Amino acid sequence: MSSWRLAIRLARRDALRARGRSILVLVMIALPVLAVTAADVVIQTQEVTGVEALDRRLGTADAQVTVPAEGRPMVQRFDPMDGATTVGGKPDPPTEAEISAALGGARLVEERVGSVSYATDKGIGYVEVTEVDLRDPVADGLFELTSGRLPETAGEVVVNDAVLDSGYALGDTLDLGRQNPAPTIVGIADSASLRTAPTAAGPIGSLGLDARNGASPGWLAEGGPVSWDAVEALNTMGALVLSRAVIEDPPPASEIPEELNWDSGDDSMVAAVALIVVMALLEVVLLAGPAFAVTARRQARSLALMSATGGTPAQSRRVVLAGGLVLGGAAAVLGVVLGIGAGWLLLPVVQRWSSHWFGPFDVPWPHVAGIAMFGLASAVLAAVVPAWIAARQDVVAVLAGRRADRPPSVRSPILGVVLLGIGVAMAAYGAAAGSGSGEFLIAGSAIVAVLGMILVVPVVVAGVARAAGRLPLSTRYAARDAARHRTRTVPAIAAVAATVAGVVTLGIGLSSDEAENEGTYTPSLAMGQAAVTGYDLRPAAWDELARVVDRELPGATVTPMTGVGGEDWVDLQEPGGSAPLLDEMSVGFGSSMLVGRSVPDLVPGIAAADRERAAAVLADGGVVAFTDHDVAGDEIELMAGERGTTIRVPAAYVRFQDDTYPTLAAVASPEAVERLGVDVGTVAVAVAGADVSTEQEQDVTEAVAAVNPNAGFYVERGYQAEENTRIVQFVLAALGAILMLGGTLTATFLALSDARPDLATLSAVGASPRRRRSIAASYALVVGFVGALLGAAVGFIPGIAITYPLTAPAYTDTGPYLDVPWALIVGLVVGLPLLTAAIVGLCTRARLPMVARLD
Amino acid sequence: MNPLSSTVLHLDTVTRIHGEGATEVRALREVSFRVAAGELVAVMGPSGSGKSTLLTMAGGLDAPTSGTVSVEGVDLATLGNAGRARMRRTSVGYVFQDFNLIPALSAVENVALPMELDGVRSRAARAAARAALEEVGIPELADRFPDHMSGGQQQRVAIARAVVGERRLILADEPTGALDSETGEEILRLLRARCDAGAAGVLVTHEARHAAWADRVVFLRDGVVVDETGADPADVLLESRR
Repeated sequence: MSSWRLAIRLARRDALRARGRSILVLVMIALPVLAVTAADVVIQTQEVTGVEALDRRLGTADAQVTVPAEGRPMVQRFDPMDGATTVGGKPDPPTEAEISAALGGARLVEERVGSVSYATDKGIGYVEVTEVDLRDPVADGLFELTSGRLPETAGEVVVNDAVLDSGYALGDTLDLGRQNPAPTIVGIADSASLRTAPTAAGPIGSLGLDARNGASPGWLAEGGPVSWDAVEALNTMGALVLSRAVIEDPPPASEIPEELNWDSGDDSMVAAVALIVVMALLEVVLLAGPAFAVTARRQARSLALMSATGGTPAQSRRVVLAGGLVLGGAAAVLGVVLGIGAGWLLLPVVQRWSSHWFGPFDVPWPHVAGIAMFGLASAVLAAVVPAWIAARQDVVAVLAGRRADRPPSVRSPILGVVLLGIGVAMAAYGAAAGSGSGEFLIAGSAIVAVLGMILVVPVVVAGVARAAGRLPLSTRYAARDAARHRTRTVPAIAAVAATVAGVVTLGIGLSSDEAENEGTYTPSLAMGQAAVTGYDLRPAAWDELARVVDRELPGATVTPMTGVGGEDWVDLQEPGGSAPLLDEMSVGFGSSMLVGRSVPDLVPGIAAADRERAAAVLADGGVVAFTDHDVAGDEIELMAGERGTTIRVPAAYVRFQDDTYPTLAAVASPEAVERLGVDVGTVAVAVAGADVSTEQEQDVTEAVAAVNPNAGFYVERGYQAEENTRIVQFVLAALGAILMLGGTLTATFLALSDARPDLATLSAVGASPRRRRSIAASYALVVGFVGALLGAAVGFIPGIAITYPLTAPAYTDTGPYLDVPWALIVGLVVGLPLLTAAIVGLCTRARLPMVARLD
Repeated sequence: MNPLSSTVLHLDTVTRIHGEGATEVRALREVSFRVAAGELVAVMGPSGSGKSTLLTMAGGLDAPTSGTVSVEGVDLATLGNAGRARMRRTSVGYVFQDFNLIPALSAVENVALPMELDGVRSRAARAAARAALEEVGIPELADRFPDHMSGGQQQRVAIARAVVGERRLILADEPTGALDSETGEEILRLLRARCDAGAAGVLVTHEARHAAWADRVVFLRDGVVVDETGADPADVLLESRR
């Protein structure tokens, strides 16, 4: 312990002396701690937990009892909102007296909760309503009156500002539609839980809540704590209970009824969080690593002197580790304090976007402690390798003033290659396992592969240095210097590589997912065609729809499509066959059987030759039947639904093309339908010949909805790439750029400060001040390029693997789709390093140190 | 014109003051002297006498507070930073006590550095560098890195770097300080040979033994030239000062 005290004192002094480096590490570790703490504070505060929400839901009552299922026995979790279900039995709703008796004679105040429609200045809106006697003390806290008074009779209500904003004022009558009460607004009151949604409250009966609009009978109970046993007793009577006593002091989890004791998916959640934490830790460690490497080198001489005077390697190690402890501890405290402050400042901003009232300011101390530990751990971990190297340094070489790292060890790259192999194997196994467990194996493989890659980086860097002989001076110097100072170069390159690997993995996953969407897209209509479809429409509505479309789309050909409709349907059967003609289909045009002389142009996936064949049969009074397999016959049996008429007519069997999902079973000639005697009418409106723009589509859609809400308008534009994918790719690239810039910048400026004596020499032999810039830029280029190349290569391992569970689900025979976003990858490997090099070059002072002495 | 009599370095009443007010340090006070081609001048004096400051002035690494420094007739103050850097690449060679080779570059690359910095094609620069290494007697070490060389070898490389190309002014700051006496003598012999071949040399040293290699000795104390000898043996001068 006492040796630690010495180490920490040395580290503290050193941290104060090397301010720039210390601030760098502080920022690098404090920033993530700050961000996560602030986010956690906001999340915990906006999340109204069970106990916090009790007053908002119960007022001052001890329990809330509802009878949701007409008295069927129920089971529930501790909070019925978290889960409740009926468990069979006959409906036998309990009476108010029975409930009161079950609660030991508690006083019950009736309360109904639901939502009803009301007239607004724009049309019809919905208002969340509560019917309860607000003057009863038990309801205190449910609503907060801001002006006016509380309702006293069933003809009076209070509403919130959102209702007033939709065209009402204090004293108005709230219009709830015909056949409903029309209460007067006597006050303005905010709901304790809902912030932006329209809310209204009044005595029982004031707002017309009953079984018709889904409100169940309910009561607020007052009469002492309600135990879990009492809750279970009421459950068997068919009631659900929210008990203050149960929520505040829940019984053991084993009390949760078996029916509701589902696996809440916590395992996968924990695995995902663990993966994210490991990756984030790795990234922070790698980013902070170079700073500790440089610190350790600066201390090399004092450590060597320590060894020369009898210090043990363990003591040297401790001095460097203590640096991590001191800086990590400071960064953790700083990050947490600032994070809590930032969270507090952010709350009003976030509240403005939320529809619910936030809970009281809530600092989740156990989480915060964990986050702080994360910061401390990342700093200590970042110091581990430099400490280990410092403990093993060649004392004689250091005292003689030689500055290089030891030659790279042979063992660690071999271990790295082995880890990479394990990563590939895990990824392959995960890909084979498919969705479910596959994703986690693959994510795990990403971590293993990145760790393996880190161990390979020193060899790669040494190789680059060896190959640098023919490069221009600055690049050659940068490559060689990077290889000589691997303790600071390797973590920087690894940080860049880990970032790029992550981005490449996600990028491949995303664009492959997109490729799957495109590959499995099935058009509903032939390309460029449009249609109005609907259900339960009268003939007059169809006429009106056709007129509306004609008006909105001048120049378009608007054709009503006729089909078998009304109460009738027609079954199709191949004579002598038994298999259905179509295994699956979805009705695309209002009826599975259209009537006409040809297959309408807008039906997708039919070859031109088949259309001609179909037209011939239809002219003949026959029927075109669609199949998903080859059928040879030229006749078909038609059976008219409930009428039972069966006829046999000439038929053409037509197969949909492979990529089309069947939207139609048959097209019949008018003669055939007439013989069957089924009802025929308009089932859809085909729109052709108009190049419908998205604005026009929007206009037509609104016009069509105005005619009848059951009607809709659709334009087939083929597969539309999701805007989101582009945006996410861009965000990924930007994130990669920021992390790459961070890693490269720190490594470069640490390298520059380390290279001071070399720069002084360069200056003395006549290098122009610009040389410092080009060396800095070259160093950034080496770090960025080597890192990006390695990272991209490693990113392919989980990237390709993840496409299997992602795009080849077990229950389909399509996929896997693999689409490598080459533009993104080339940008990351070539563009981004050049960009960072340019930025570093511009940010570097063009000034060489003029003092030609070793520091 | 006789090259031996042409002035390569001329310091004219050079004063250099570091800091201001209470912390003011006068490193050099109105120092004047000339070094001609073919001449090796030793600058001697105790620690803090301004020897190193004089050398940084001569190489344009630092500017005088007053007075002028001219190299080959050009006043360094009239050149910008870039111009002085160009002058160091083409006209001046520095040799330091602690060698100051760049560890990331091999011997031949270190020697080629000034020429490469001057934009000479890498092939030509390396050929010249190999020739320079040959002159200082270590052609076989061309591809070694500084960490794998002895101190004497490193200083030879540094001298090769100082003389590569057509440089006419060699500024040596205690070039033998980190070497054993035998190796030190060899290094000085090399310097002497370069000057005999036409270069102007300034040798900062505090060892009288080394000053014996010089044609002249300039003696500094507290930033002032207290004596300047032409032909007197340095030992005599030093004796007379005590």
